[in-house]
Amino acid sequence: MSTAIHRTVDAVWRLESARLIAGLTRLVHDVGLAEEIAQDALVAALEQWPVAGVPDNPGAWLTTVARRRAVDHIRRSQLLERKQEELAREAEQQPEREPDDVLRLMFISCHPVLPTPARVALTLRLIAGLSAAEIGRAFLTTESKITARIADAKQTLADRRVPFELPAGAELADRLSSVLEVVYLVFNEGYSASAGDDLIRADLCLEALRLGRLLAELAPAEPEVHGLVALMEIQASRAAARTGPDGEPVPLPEQNRARWDQLLIRRGFTAMLRARDLGAPPGPYVVQAAIAVCHAQARTAQDTDWAQIASLYDVLVRLLPTPVVQLNRAVAIGMARGPQAGLDLVDSLTGDPALRDYHLLPAVRADLLARLDRPAQARREFERAAAAARNAAEREFLLRRAAALPEAPATGPTLGQSAREFLLRTDLDAQTIRSYAQTLRRLCLDLGDSLPLSALTPERVGGVFTASWGDAAARTWNRHRAAVRSFGTWAGLADPAARLDLRTPEPSPRPVLDLDPLWARDLPLREHTLWRLLHESGVSARTALALDVADLDLDDRRARVGGRWIGWRARTAALLPQLLAGRTRGPVFLADRRPGPARTPAAADRCPDTGRGRLSYERAEYLFKQATGHTLRDLKH
Amino acid sequence: MRFLMTSMATDQAPDEKLFAEMAKFIDEMTAAGVLLATGGLERGGVRLTSSGDEITVTDGPFAEAKEAVAGFALIEVRSREEAIELGRRFRSIVGDGVSMIQQVFGP
Repeated sequence: MSTAIHRTVDAVWRLESARLIAGLTRLVHDVGLAEEIAQDALVAALEQWPVAGVPDNPGAWLTTVARRRAVDHIRRSQLLERKQEELAREAEQQPEREPDDVLRLMFISCHPVLPTPARVALTLRLIAGLSAAEIGRAFLTTESKITARIADAKQTLADRRVPFELPAGAELADRLSSVLEVVYLVFNEGYSASAGDDLIRADLCLEALRLGRLLAELAPAEPEVHGLVALMEIQASRAAARTGPDGEPVPLPEQNRARWDQLLIRRGFTAMLRARDLGAPPGPYVVQAAIAVCHAQARTAQDTDWAQIASLYDVLVRLLPTPVVQLNRAVAIGMARGPQAGLDLVDSLTGDPALRDYHLLPAVRADLLARLDRPAQARREFERAAAAARNAAEREFLLRRAAALPEAPATGPTLGQSAREFLLRTDLDAQTIRSYAQTLRRLCLDLGDSLPLSALTPERVGGVFTASWGDAAARTWNRHRAAVRSFGTWAGLADPAARLDLRTPEPSPRPVLDLDPLWARDLPLREHTLWRLLHESGVSARTALALDVADLDLDDRRARVGGRWIGWRARTAALLPQLLAGRTRGPVFLADRRPGPARTPAAADRCPDTGRGRLSYERAEYLFKQATGHTLRDLKH
Repeated sequence: MRFLMTSMATDQAPDEKLFAEMAKFIDEMTAAGVLLATGGLERGGVRLTSSGDEITVTDGPFAEAKEAVAGFALIEVRSREEAIELGRRFRSIVGDGVSMIQQVFGP
């Protein structure tokens, strides 16, 4: 078969698959099945088009073939006996397009029952028509992982019986925000790519834009949809100007605005006007888009209306109070209301663990300090930012900025010099030096190599400790504290650890249970099954012992407990049928003997066939302790 | 990938049915996020020719009508094949005539 026709079929599939799958889902009420039927139609096209030529309306051709197959399926299906005839009749009628079908499909593929990576993969597969291989390449993972992720997602949707419908009222807004989140995630994955094949990643931006534009036509009354489209169009308009000739990032104020794509900017403005015309109070995407519009409107960086941007950030920070938004707000306020106002705001963020290793925090501080005419401190902050930057081009850029500032006048030794000298001591063993080096590296990273040693105050040290090791185990904390004290004594400083409490270590953890020798033993079937189940499912022993045979779903390796599902893997799955030996009712794990007349358990805790009672927690615990010296809890890990 | 799709003028006068079908096609392309911009061009126009230091301005019309570009669509698609498929759909709506599809580089 010629590759040309293959590529044409592929192009038609990309253009038509979302509508096709959406229409079929309305008929068969199962996304997975709908996609299979659509793929069947695609195979038919690959067989027939090379001979008969590409039809005039390829979309309608695919729809007709797929609907015929859906009808066959409905006729064959044992499950839908009641409405079978009615559905088959509906399906045979001339295919009529429901305008909202694709929107419904988007709501399904971004449904909150699915984990976010599954939503992303399913949306790119069903709505954008990408193959698992393409999605895998774009997200730097393997095709088989994406295939499994999509299969799991379809299974979950079928299990949960997620309906093919448009949610109403407040739920619509909720569900829509899940869709918007997925689209923006795809966009950012492509836009802030720091790894991988750039070209493929840039394609993700295009896919996200297409999804957004599609959504804007499907849900035109939702301002946030237009806000997101505006935001993406304007951000995409800067794509060519964001990197220099060597791939280094070019910050917004230094970008060559002539390279901004005016067409996309204008499309962004149009989307923004559509959002504003709807007159609702602005949501986070509309506000972010408004900020992007402010930047796009400025002919030069100096023309930027920072007062307007700062007040937009004041709104945004209430809607979206993330640390990164707060940092961006600090930049805007630094521009609008003076560097000191910005610096005060940044300083209130320095203890935030979420920003601990975020290189832009010291970079922003550096900028503000430079503008406050504190070049020595600014230089130190740029150096810190460079040390934290992950991207080589970005690191170079920050180091260049640091080098452009004058060095601090000599005021005695710096933290970096002293730390290096301290670590050259010969009176300590190698392991202690390694441990001390770790602590001092973090101090230098957070406070800057060129901090004068005299400025190493207990307050500064305390800040580093809280941000870096606030949640660390007591032993780790105390080790770092000892290192700082030792350094302070050596350097002749007043105790730099004065603000750090010695922490009391928790009792040492239980010894780790070595499982391989356990499984190698010749174990009784009941114990072996229970232990495997606890190990593979991670549930508590009491939960496992409470299981009844009727709760089990052996085919899918899971059981319903209370309102949730627990699952297990191959080893347990192999053992369970032997243990049950054909039983269909009563407890899964039975006691050895029938209970004596004085201690008859409730009917629910007895096997209706053998009369044996449910295995008690105490007995199960005893058996495990006898066998291993551990408690059943240790199996969870 | 961006493509500029241009179509040459024809002698046929468009009828109402064509307008309706074109409007539907443009709506669909917009909804699919494919169409970035579209427009029609005046017949004729002005031609500038430079030769050495001299620049000559000539008013149209020029040559034969069917060699002049009458309208354009700027589309953003994933592949050349998608552009061709959309071009095919466009031609099947407007009838006999010629279109050009060229990839746009930049900005």
